[in-house]
Amino acid sequence: MTTLGPLTELAVAPAMPRRARLRGRTTRRVLRVLGWVLLAVPLLVAVVGPVLAPSTAPGGVPLQQPGPGHLLGTDVLGRDLLGLVLVGGTTVVSLTLASLVLAYAVAVPIGLLVAARGRILEGLTIGLLDVLLALPSLLVLMVLAATGRNGIGWLVLAVALVQVPYVVRLVRGAAAAPSCLATLEAMTMGGEPWWRVRIVETGRRVLPPVLVDATTRVSGVVGLLSAANFLGVGLDPAVVDWAVVVDQNMTALFLRPSAVLLPAGLLVALCAGTNLLVDDLLERRA
Amino acid sequence: MTARAGMRVGLALLQLVAVSVGVFVLTTFLPGDTAEVVLGPLATPEQIEMLRGQLGLDRPVWAQFADWVGGLVHGDLGRSIATGRPVVDDIGSRLGLTVVLALLAVVVLVPLVVVLGLYGGRHPGSPADRLITAATTVAHAVPDFALGLLLVALFALQLGWLPATAAGSVGLSGLTAPMLVLPVAILVSNQLGRLARQVRIGVVEADAAEHVAHLRRLGLAERTVLLRHVLPAGVVPSLQQFARTVDGLLGGVLVVEALFALPGLGSGFVAAVQTRDLPVVQAYALLFAATTVVVNLVADLASARLVPQAVRL
Repeated sequence: MTTLGPLTELAVAPAMPRRARLRGRTTRRVLRVLGWVLLAVPLLVAVVGPVLAPSTAPGGVPLQQPGPGHLLGTDVLGRDLLGLVLVGGTTVVSLTLASLVLAYAVAVPIGLLVAARGRILEGLTIGLLDVLLALPSLLVLMVLAATGRNGIGWLVLAVALVQVPYVVRLVRGAAAAPSCLATLEAMTMGGEPWWRVRIVETGRRVLPPVLVDATTRVSGVVGLLSAANFLGVGLDPAVVDWAVVVDQNMTALFLRPSAVLLPAGLLVALCAGTNLLVDDLLERRA
Repeated sequence: MTARAGMRVGLALLQLVAVSVGVFVLTTFLPGDTAEVVLGPLATPEQIEMLRGQLGLDRPVWAQFADWVGGLVHGDLGRSIATGRPVVDDIGSRLGLTVVLALLAVVVLVPLVVVLGLYGGRHPGSPADRLITAATTVAHAVPDFALGLLLVALFALQLGWLPATAAGSVGLSGLTAPMLVLPVAILVSNQLGRLARQVRIGVVEADAAEHVAHLRRLGLAERTVLLRHVLPAGVVPSLQQFARTVDGLLGGVLVVEALFALPGLGSGFVAAVQTRDLPVVQAYALLFAATTVVVNLVADLASARLVPQAVRL
C-alpha cells in the first residue's frame, strides 16, 4: 500500500530546471543524514543501554531532582530515570523484530502457495484475508486484552496477525510479476518439481520486495506495540519499556516532564528515523 | 455496473457477518472463562458459577450466539456488567464527541491535503516538495501519544497557550474549543502524510497526461487547467485512503481520546477493556468493525461511480 509512493516522479524530472533539481538532491542528502542520526540514537540506546544501565529497582524516593545518585533523577515509582531510558528500548526493538519475523514466516509461505496453486484457493484465501483486513489492528489487541489475553506472547502474535493479510497480498503480487514468470516457465519445462519452481525459486525471487516491504512496516509495528503499551493493554506494568514508562509517568508530566519526554522522544526518533531512511530507499529503488 | 455494485454490497454483508462471528468468538469462545476474567483471581468458585448463570455462559455456545445476534438485530447491544446500564446509552452519550472531532479533523485536513498535494505534484523533486513529503511521512510514522505528549509539553507546559487535558468535562457540553485544538492537530498530522502523498502522485500523473498538455497548448488559463482538470483527476486515487482516514477517525481514536481524557467512543472502549466489561467491549468492537466495513463499501462505490473504467468492484 505504501509502495505507490515514488514510482512516477522520475518520469517528470526533466521538466525541472537544473538548479532546482540540484537543490532538491541536497535536501534529500540532508534528510538522509538526519534519518541515520535519528535512527542511530534510539537503536544504540536499545542495544548497548542495558549493559551500562544503573539498577531500575522501584522503591526509591519518587520524582527526585537529578543529582549524584541519580543522574537524571527518579520517576513516579522511584526508579532511576537514566536506567529506565537505557533499558526500556530493548523490548521495543526485540518485540518489533519478533512480530515482523513471525508475520513474514507465516505470510510468505501462504502467499507463495496461493500464487502457485489454482484460482479457487486464491479466491478463498484472499476473500478470507480481506475480512481480516476489516478489523482495525488496535481493536484486535484491545479485545484480546479485554479477555485476559495479554502479555508478550499474545502481543507479538496479535501484531504479527494483523500484518499477515498485507504481506500475503504483496507476495502474491510479486510472484505473479512477469520477470518472475518467464524464468519459472523455463524451469518447469526443464522438468523441475512444482514445489522447487513455485516455492523455492519464486521465494528467492520475491525476497527483495519482501525485505523492502518489511522496512516499511517497522514504524507501524513500533507504533502499534507502543500504543498498546501506552493504553495499558500490552506488556506487564513491571516490564521496563519506553511506552510503559510514558504511561506510568503521565500523571507527573507537569512535575517531572523529562520522565515522559525522554522515552517518548526516543520512540519518536526511532519511528521518524526509520521512515526517512525507508523513503530514501524506496526512492532510490524507483 | 448495478450487478457489480450488488456484489460489492453482498461482500460487505458477508464481512459484517464474519466480523460479528469473529468478535463473538474472540470474546466468549476462546479458552479462558469470561466469568473468571471478570471477577479476577480472588473470586470463589460459587461467585464464578453465579456470574456464569447471570451472563448465560452455562448455556450452549450456539444459543448464546443466537441470543446475541437476536439482540443486535433488535438494536439491543446488552447491558454493561459494571454499571448495569444498556450499552446503547453509553455509546449514544459518547457518539457526539467522536463525530465532532472527526468532522473538525476532516475540515482541517482536506484543504491542507489539496494545497500540499497540488504544490508537491507541480514541483516534484524540489526542496520544498522533499521537505513536505519528509515532514508529513514522519508525522504519520510517529506514535500519536508520543507526538501528543511533545505537543502538550510545548503548548501547554512551556507556552501555556492551550489546556493539556479535557479531564472533568462531561459529554460535549463541558468542552471548550481550546481543549480540542491539540487533539485535532494530532489527528490531522497523523493522517496528513498518506493523503497528501497520494494526491501528490495523482497530480504528478494527471499533470503529465496527454490531454492536459493539449489543454495547455490550446491556451487555457493555467488556473483552469489545474483546478478543473488536474486536481479532480489527481484526487480520485486518494479516495480509498480518505475512506481509511474517515474510518480511523470514527473508530480508531483510542489513543488521542485517552491522552486528553476526551469522553468519546475511543475512551469508552478503552475504559471497558480496562474494567473487563465484556458486553460493552463486544458492542464497541462490533461497532468499530462495522464502521470499517461500511466506510470501505461507500468508498468503493464512490470510486466506481467517479471512474467506472478504472475500478473493478
